[in-house]
Amino acid sequence: MIERKSNAARRGDIRYALAGLFIVLSASPVDSSDHNVAPNTVQRAFDGALSSVVKLYGGGGLGRLHGYGTGFLVSADGKIVTALSILVTRPTIRVVLSDGRKYDARLVRSDEYRQLAVLQIDGEGLPHLNLTKTDSVEPGDTVIAMGNWYKIAEGEEHVSVNRGILSLKTDLSARRLTQDFEYQGPVLIYDAITSNPGAPGGPLLDIHGNCIGIVGRVVEAVNTNTRINYALPSEEITAFLGGEPSPKATTAATTGKQGKPYVGIKISKFGFRHVSAYVQRVRPGSPAAEAGIKPDDLIVAIDNKRITNADAYRAAVDAMRPGQLVRFIIKRGQRVMTFEITIGVRP
Amino acid sequence: MIACLFRLSALCAAMSAQTETGVDHYSFEQVRAQVIRKATAHVEPALVTIETIGGAQPVRDGGPRGPVEESFRLADGPTTGLVISSDGLIITSSFNFARDPAIITVTFADGRRSVAKLLGRDHIRRLALIKVDEENLPEPDWVPSDELQVGQYAMACGRGLGGTQPFVSLGIVSALNRRNGNAVQTDAKVSPINYGGPLVDIEGRVMGILVPMAGSGGALAGARWYDSGIGFAIYKREIDGVFDRLAAGETIEQGKIGVILEPDEESSLIPLLDKLLPPAKGVKIREVLEHSPASRSDLRVGDKILAIDGQPTGDLSELQRRLSDRAAGETIMLTVKRRWRKLDVKIKLVPRSEIGKPPEEDADSNAEESSDEPTTRPVTD
Repeated sequence: MIERKSNAARRGDIRYALAGLFIVLSASPVDSSDHNVAPNTVQRAFDGALSSVVKLYGGGGLGRLHGYGTGFLVSADGKIVTALSILVTRPTIRVVLSDGRKYDARLVRSDEYRQLAVLQIDGEGLPHLNLTKTDSVEPGDTVIAMGNWYKIAEGEEHVSVNRGILSLKTDLSARRLTQDFEYQGPVLIYDAITSNPGAPGGPLLDIHGNCIGIVGRVVEAVNTNTRINYALPSEEITAFLGGEPSPKATTAATTGKQGKPYVGIKISKFGFRHVSAYVQRVRPGSPAAEAGIKPDDLIVAIDNKRITNADAYRAAVDAMRPGQLVRFIIKRGQRVMTFEITIGVRP
Repeated sequence: MIACLFRLSALCAAMSAQTETGVDHYSFEQVRAQVIRKATAHVEPALVTIETIGGAQPVRDGGPRGPVEESFRLADGPTTGLVISSDGLIITSSFNFARDPAIITVTFADGRRSVAKLLGRDHIRRLALIKVDEENLPEPDWVPSDELQVGQYAMACGRGLGGTQPFVSLGIVSALNRRNGNAVQTDAKVSPINYGGPLVDIEGRVMGILVPMAGSGGALAGARWYDSGIGFAIYKREIDGVFDRLAAGETIEQGKIGVILEPDEESSLIPLLDKLLPPAKGVKIREVLEHSPASRSDLRVGDKILAIDGQPTGDLSELQRRLSDRAAGETIMLTVKRRWRKLDVKIKLVPRSEIGKPPEEDADSNAEESSDEPTTRPVTD
């Protein structure tokens, strides 16, 4: 209650501040009627970053795959980061800088998991973006996305810019067309629309013009079946540029040593694939039995991740490590119960 | 020279900003971000994650092709709801239960989980009411609808991406009293991520419940407009209007008359005379469907509908729009013109599914039909 009151009081302050700001904006001699000179935050961020963002062109598009994209310079000697796509695997990649200079680029390295690629052009003293850690931004903060959307920027025109707010930091669970999307790590979700052709590979900036992420490939969120607007956080770019192996490879390497994860639950089967994950049998002495899980329990979630069917359960167990402590959420009759299970090693 | 002037004026702006309010453009962004976080945090305790298990992609009547799947593929991820009364009632969107799930669970902001029961659905306003066995749930604050103004900031909150933090998108109020007066329109991004969640103002007070409501057609039609900058939230007053019926377990469906309509082209043999008689503007009945409220009433093919409940109807799309808001079970009064006569016909609306069914045990309510087609084609209503 006390907390609430103080919130209300501060809310009043903010409203006052906002009202005051609008007055200043309208009275100022450099208000929005004078776009070219207004000390507009978006514009300052944009001006700094603009010269570092490049348009990419490749051979003609194939079907739904587009022959154009976006990238940005991350070093003065011509290193360009972009999203991995058919575009960067072509023999010729044409790079157009914001001042119209054109270069041919070559693919230096790509990362299948992060779906990122790094290109090289021959240049010196080139403008480039600074990568900033994403713990400097929180939901609600203004973000700015830039990109060669729909190839609208023609010839020497610079890329398009869009602003939004950071909506959420979460882990991505997505698919591309019918396939699961490789990258399942943390992403920045925002409310500017970048799920467009040409957008992947563009930078996401904070209001200072620092790069906090890279716009990812167009994907649909598994949770909603709708396209989402997201960027891989700058940490992933840094890790990729530094040559760190992707997390997927790391887990695969460690699980091999420790043996296979073991819970001890047999899920009931009715001959259909997509049947809810009801427990048919619990192996005596298994981690599940010790935790108290019983036949006919319905597994609703594991570690807050929904388990919708037997396949999802199997996939979840496969992803566990022996020794890991996981939380099973079970529906038994009309009750929802939580069980903590320490994953064992399959005998 | 010009550049110098600009720089000078920019400096002036910066100085005046500091002296008058202490806020410059950069601070504005920061203040706005704080306001967004505070508003989200204010509503967050009442925001719940809804998860469902079971059910199937809904189908709709595809005419001669038989039942067809809805074109929008539903996912089975989490969805959003909002506590509406502390004794366990949660308001959300009917979109979230389009699969008719077998099991519904609710996770509260503090992480507690509970099994929920679906009480009732309102297919007109795309709302649903669910119940959990909980008490003392935190209720949100609501904005009185007469305080809302076009242009004010609005934030759409949801839990459809899972995780512990709510999703928030920022926009403004685009229009008031849309969709037959049921909804406030916003340009904040609205999608299955936040259907069933609240649209809040900068203080975190709820303006309405976000639902897919654009376009016409089946239950999922509006979802195709996701993230378009055209989103809708149902007013509290409209929720209150159906609350008791939903709580009592009722399903509210669009009511149908059981007629196929066509625009009233000026095909009359005596157009001049038609024009001389003032209330001649209307919509013509092309067909009366069998076993429908229309067939059991006095309506006949060729009648021209002039008014609903005494209000002139104008053209076909206006008639459809006004009928789309009327629920099965309601009784309406149609004013029709038949040649030179004007008649008042009372009709009790029925759900589309009952149209064409001959009366069996219950002779009281029968059948009727509906309308998804564009207005250029004849439609049933």
